[in-house]
Amino acid sequence: MLFRVASVERFALAVLSIAAILAVGCAHTDEEVSIEPLVPAAGRVDPGLGPGTRALSSGPGYKGSPSWSPGGARIAFTVDGYVVDKPTGSEDLRRWTTRDFIAEDTEWESNDTLMILGAAPPSGGKEISSSLYRTRAREDELELETVEKEVSAISPNREGLIFAFGGAPNESRLALTRGGGKINRLYNRPIRGRVAALSVSPDGEEAVLAVRPPGDRETSGLHEFDLRKGEGREITRLDGNQEILGTPQWTEHGPYFVAGKRGGSVDSDGSEPLYEIYHVPVEGGAPEPAPGMGEDFVAASIRISPDGKRLAVIGRLNPEAPTNLYVLDPLVEDFTAVTTNEDMEIKTGPDDLAWSPGGKSVAVIARGTPSTEPEVHADPADRLLRDFYNLYEIPVGRTPR
Amino acid sequence: MRDIVFWLSGAALAFLLTAGAFLLLANLATAPSEKSLNPDRAPGGSGHTLDLQLDRERLASLEPLPDQSLDLAVENGGGEQLSHVNVTLIVSSENTALSDPRYYRQTVEKLRAGGIANVRFEFDLVAPEQPVARPPAATPEPSREILELRATTPEGNSTIRTVILPP
Repeated sequence: MLFRVASVERFALAVLSIAAILAVGCAHTDEEVSIEPLVPAAGRVDPGLGPGTRALSSGPGYKGSPSWSPGGARIAFTVDGYVVDKPTGSEDLRRWTTRDFIAEDTEWESNDTLMILGAAPPSGGKEISSSLYRTRAREDELELETVEKEVSAISPNREGLIFAFGGAPNESRLALTRGGGKINRLYNRPIRGRVAALSVSPDGEEAVLAVRPPGDRETSGLHEFDLRKGEGREITRLDGNQEILGTPQWTEHGPYFVAGKRGGSVDSDGSEPLYEIYHVPVEGGAPEPAPGMGEDFVAASIRISPDGKRLAVIGRLNPEAPTNLYVLDPLVEDFTAVTTNEDMEIKTGPDDLAWSPGGKSVAVIARGTPSTEPEVHADPADRLLRDFYNLYEIPVGRTPR
Repeated sequence: MRDIVFWLSGAALAFLLTAGAFLLLANLATAPSEKSLNPDRAPGGSGHTLDLQLDRERLASLEPLPDQSLDLAVENGGGEQLSHVNVTLIVSSENTALSDPRYYRQTVEKLRAGGIANVRFEFDLVAPEQPVARPPAATPEPSREILELRATTPEGNSTIRTVILPP
């Protein structure tokens, strides 16, 4: 009897002890974390773009070319051709050009200075040619300072901004501006053809250029340019009517670019990819399809991460699939879908994506599928998100190596 | 051997008791917050006192021409008469680089509680011309027209409807 009582007591003691350990172990030790109030636009992000997605703009306007400020606190972009920027956490929009300006690309020189590739409104029916402008944030003034005319492409690098220019149809040159609107280095070696796009390697030593060779209708030449020596060479030239789409990117493993048949159409069975991502090995050789992406993948635009190790890719798994954001790690051939959206149209322009300075997120531009019927909403137009192309910040997880 | 059985039985029972307690607490804690979600409320609106009712068929028949008209109903869903309701129609383009928005205004006098008043707007829906030939990259698609209807009262009631018309 004594043994039984002792056993029951021991059993009860054991249950209570373990319950106490579990309760203490599972209990919250931190204080409750308050949820920040949502800014108006961020409260209505379409979940199709994934958890953690944040709207960076709202309202009407055809938006493009996002560019983060060096500190990541602001983002600049084009709206119907003119240039604006805003803090990433509020709606306080700031306009940098007149509304009739036609901008192609923007890059930050510093946290209060923008470099803009574009054209001022033409007069007398003259043909528009793009120039490189510099402008500073001012309260009431929209003043553009011309840095160089006949500029065809720009890219930031560690020292400032590299740009391609040239009035002659068969020749381009590169130059470096470190700020202040001055050209600090003019690269004397000309490039045969017109530079359509360029980007600089993360270490700032090489530029990779998409070039339209003299007499060619397509941007078919891929060049590299050593920015220390001031020398360049053609790496490869695409055959037939193949063209390079958008801006080639320089990774740790050599250049990557999007290419395909110019104006090509999808086969009747809908299976032929229009544009693919190609890779040229550092040691040279013919372009090869980028590894790990699947044969049917249709690429639209690519952008290298700030550390030079990952490529953000906008494209489709096959010609009939929805457009999504992916990240390619060329070293481990890891290709990850960041979004699995089926409802939103992600914009596929060559400059319509941008890595945040820390490499933790990517800005893309997207909208819902436009309706063919009138749509009625209970919100003001300037707060609507999915009805118009708007900017979204999408968190990008680090790929384990 | 018996001690081991005791401790294992005790651990299992304690685990079940603790898990049950946490599940109960979790259900109790999450129940009220589901009711507080209301994502579709129009900002700046004040309850459902004012309502704007639009005819979708009429909206679908609007054309990008001058002399368009739109009938709508203003409803006082509150319990008191409204001295007057200002209804504003703002016509603008999706292309924000084009001309400034056009404003039209109507006033409804003395709208009784639960009453409905009809309002007609006659307006110009001609898409503004582009001042200069812009390259396709700037705005490659035809722009849609936007109608923004705002109803406000001196008492601070307001409601809004935004209509996006297909090109």
